[in-house]
Amino acid sequence: MLLGVFVGLGSYFLFSRDLPQLPNDLRKINLSLATEIYSADGERIKVLGQRYPVPLEDISPNFTNAIIAAEDASFYRHKGLDHRALMRALYMNIRERKILQGGSTITQQLSKNLFFSFERNWVRKVKELLISFQLEATFSKEKILEAYCNQIYFGSGAYGVEEASQTYFRKRARDLTILQGALLAGLPNSPNYANPFKNYERSMRRAEHILIRMVKEHLISSEEKNEALSSSLELIRPREDDNPSRYFLNYVLAKLESKYGKEFVHFGGLKVFTTLDTRLQGFAQRSALSHLEALESKMVNGVGKKYLQVGMVSIENQSGAVRVMLGGRSYSNSQFNRAVSNNRLPGSSFKPFVYLTAMEQNGFNPASIVKDEPVAFEIQGSSPWEPKNFSDKYAGDIILKKAMMRSLNSVSAKLIQEVTPEKVIKAARQFGVTSPLGNNLSLALGTSGVSPLEMASAYSTIANLGIYNEPYFVERIEDFKGNPLYENFYHGVQNYAPKSIYPLLNMMQGVIDGGTGRIVRQMGFKHPAGGKTGTTNNFKDSWFDGFTKDFSTSVWVGYDNNEPMIDRHAHGLTGASAAAPIWTLYMEKALQGKNQVKFPIPEGIKFEKVDVFTGTLADSQSTETMNIAVKEETVILPRAIETIPVELDLFEPSTTSGLTNVPSP
Amino acid sequence: MKLSGIQRQWWMGIMLCLGILVLFPLEFYGKIFERGIGNYLKWQNSARPQLGRVWDKDRQTILAQTKVQSIRSLLDSRQESAEAIDSLKALFENTEPSFPLVLSREKFLDLYYDFPGQWSVRIISPFELISIDSKYNWTRVLLKRFGQWFTISFLDSHNIPVHEVFVATDALKEVQATRTVKQGSLEEVGFEKDRVYSVAVFLPLLQSLDPKTQHAVFPDPRWFLAKDYSITRIGVRELEPSNKTVSSLEFGIEYNTDYYTGVLLIPVSREIANNLLSQIERTNFDIWGEEFSAITVPSVGGNP
Repeated sequence: MLLGVFVGLGSYFLFSRDLPQLPNDLRKINLSLATEIYSADGERIKVLGQRYPVPLEDISPNFTNAIIAAEDASFYRHKGLDHRALMRALYMNIRERKILQGGSTITQQLSKNLFFSFERNWVRKVKELLISFQLEATFSKEKILEAYCNQIYFGSGAYGVEEASQTYFRKRARDLTILQGALLAGLPNSPNYANPFKNYERSMRRAEHILIRMVKEHLISSEEKNEALSSSLELIRPREDDNPSRYFLNYVLAKLESKYGKEFVHFGGLKVFTTLDTRLQGFAQRSALSHLEALESKMVNGVGKKYLQVGMVSIENQSGAVRVMLGGRSYSNSQFNRAVSNNRLPGSSFKPFVYLTAMEQNGFNPASIVKDEPVAFEIQGSSPWEPKNFSDKYAGDIILKKAMMRSLNSVSAKLIQEVTPEKVIKAARQFGVTSPLGNNLSLALGTSGVSPLEMASAYSTIANLGIYNEPYFVERIEDFKGNPLYENFYHGVQNYAPKSIYPLLNMMQGVIDGGTGRIVRQMGFKHPAGGKTGTTNNFKDSWFDGFTKDFSTSVWVGYDNNEPMIDRHAHGLTGASAAAPIWTLYMEKALQGKNQVKFPIPEGIKFEKVDVFTGTLADSQSTETMNIAVKEETVILPRAIETIPVELDLFEPSTTSGLTNVPSP
Repeated sequence: MKLSGIQRQWWMGIMLCLGILVLFPLEFYGKIFERGIGNYLKWQNSARPQLGRVWDKDRQTILAQTKVQSIRSLLDSRQESAEAIDSLKALFENTEPSFPLVLSREKFLDLYYDFPGQWSVRIISPFELISIDSKYNWTRVLLKRFGQWFTISFLDSHNIPVHEVFVATDALKEVQATRTVKQGSLEEVGFEKDRVYSVAVFLPLLQSLDPKTQHAVFPDPRWFLAKDYSITRIGVRELEPSNKTVSSLEFGIEYNTDYYTGVLLIPVSREIANNLLSQIERTNFDIWGEEFSAITVPSVGGNP
């Protein structure tokens, strides 16, 4: 007897330790301020922590009867513990020697959901039972049922019966039919397995099972059951979780959480006004999908090769506001954000930083003559590096602008050797590239991974004529009363003089107007624009980064598994064929109805028409000429004065002293 | 009569069975076990800790609201500090590199036009302001300090700067920039009695000066008139050596308001001061009379 008393007391102290306090009102469990996130065009794109609690009177008895039949038939008879259900569960668990059934009443489930972990162990189970006794002793059955209905999970992101009714049937919980009530009542037990959006047949079988139990419990008649089964379920189409804004949204939330803390973001009742433009985001996704599908229809079939991916960012140049972020072609298919997290090799789209460094540091200009030829660079402790042109053809003497337009690898390699990789890295940092960059010559060909966000931001600096605007995502944060908590203030830094950047910008316009990016013009894009294609070895990555006066947009296309992108005719996908069309389709729509705005010509810039092969002023002997923009102080000489024989092979890699730049003669 | 051991065990067994027989229907029909525990736990509910998911959520909400409040307080106090700034120079001085200041358009214009002298006009010309106004709808001003420069950004309603003006930090050291206001009489702010003169003596002299010298030693009269300040006396003193401006004399213009007496302190470069004093001596000696003789004319400078 004494032993029994001690065991009883010991058990009580064991279980009652850390037993939680109950709130005075069960409605408290659904009270929290929701955080709303808005796009720049005024759309509410996400609400965090929103619940739709409803009083029991606003829940159809068709549902409450069904949930009682399904989960706890003796709900109105017990005081927290269903002896028969418990015995049955005990028998099953002892027989199977593991916890298979809980025999939990609705009150116990509520107790678990409010206070305890979902881990299955005996101590937690007993505590849950003790709390359910207290719930029964404190609140009426109606209050317990109401609280239960308002906080259980129904799958498809729906918490509470009101949200579930809206999610599955687009109607109020008070209007649910018998069949709908039965179907919903089958969900809390297996929200994914019996989800009608995922497996309609299975969910209907579960609903039928619940209807049978309702008949058994005399909650409905047999006729009502048959009538319900023959009625229409009126299930609506599932909400698309393929919202392309999700990539942006998750990125912004992660940033806010790291800056302010998770609780501030999720429980602060904030209004977050972001820079995202849902209209442009939609254009971006549609442009990407339509082109990727077209490409895939031409690709070689094979395991893991069928699903081309995309990463895309579009920035408003004037402010640095990120208007579009597409982290992949389908959020529901893959949540990995390729626009920010997927540092892939940019290939030739990195070359503008090399060219600018050469022009700024070593006196080159767009008319400077360079020799396009096979090159080899000695690498200490390794075999020589022999970068080849894309086509393995070499043009000989050529002006810098033309070299960029044709994206000649040998020229870029020579330039970086001349200026040193350190200086190129320094320049790239000035443009906002933050990823680690390899201090080696191959950097000239884009062999260090960067993200589309970085590239869009860097190209935006070119479009802004040297002003770097740090890309930003949040315009303003307000508390629930509308008081401002945060405001973004533009922070543009003039990293380069406009007249230093404009020649580069003009060269990049040439890429689109008649270079490797001419597909943009061939597709009918008429706005003044500059850009650069990028294709990496074996066609693993294709890039197109470009800008107009208003927007800078970076597009990457590739396979997640880094496989080469080869079509049925054994042609690889390039920046021009895979990424540039997406850029063009998107920019065309984004700028629809807008005036074609030219880039402003800064002071200290002049234009000259030069011979592409000599770099001299164009004359009657010129076979190919080109307009270039240079600083006013740059002297472009006519051919007649060119009397001194010029050694064009100035980029002999074995020496350094002889690698001086020859500005146009 | 004593019970034997076996009898005692027998009786206890019977009592236990009876107890169970009584408890079983009570539990089966009355749920006494659940009710008992439930009511006991209810009774000692408030003594238990607030644990579990529902309380965690509660705590997180409180934490979040505390953070919201603290950010609000910080912003409010910054706003109040910005609104409390009473001179354009103080506005620049209060701008720290890591804390940009945001001002309403009205406040900025108030400070701009309230500056007792030409310094504000030299930083931004009023015509430049009119020009910005004619092109853009600016609502606020953002003042940032970066290295040796201040940036004054005129912001539109979307916080986009429609115009930017850059001011070197050295501009704060200019003589014109150092005009300040102090409460109290001339004597209270450190002027000696024997170097204080009546306004009736000073104003005629001021009117006789060329406009450049007038601007150097006296603000636009509108500064006094608009505020309903009545000038009473003028004082002159040597500036303390710790002041690193190039000036060496300071004029104090005392005025009365409805509530207090104030002094507008105007540092004057030695060259201008000497020029002024020489003119006073040459043209108004009879007016100054003995008072003027009390002024110690600085010994340095080429034009005593």
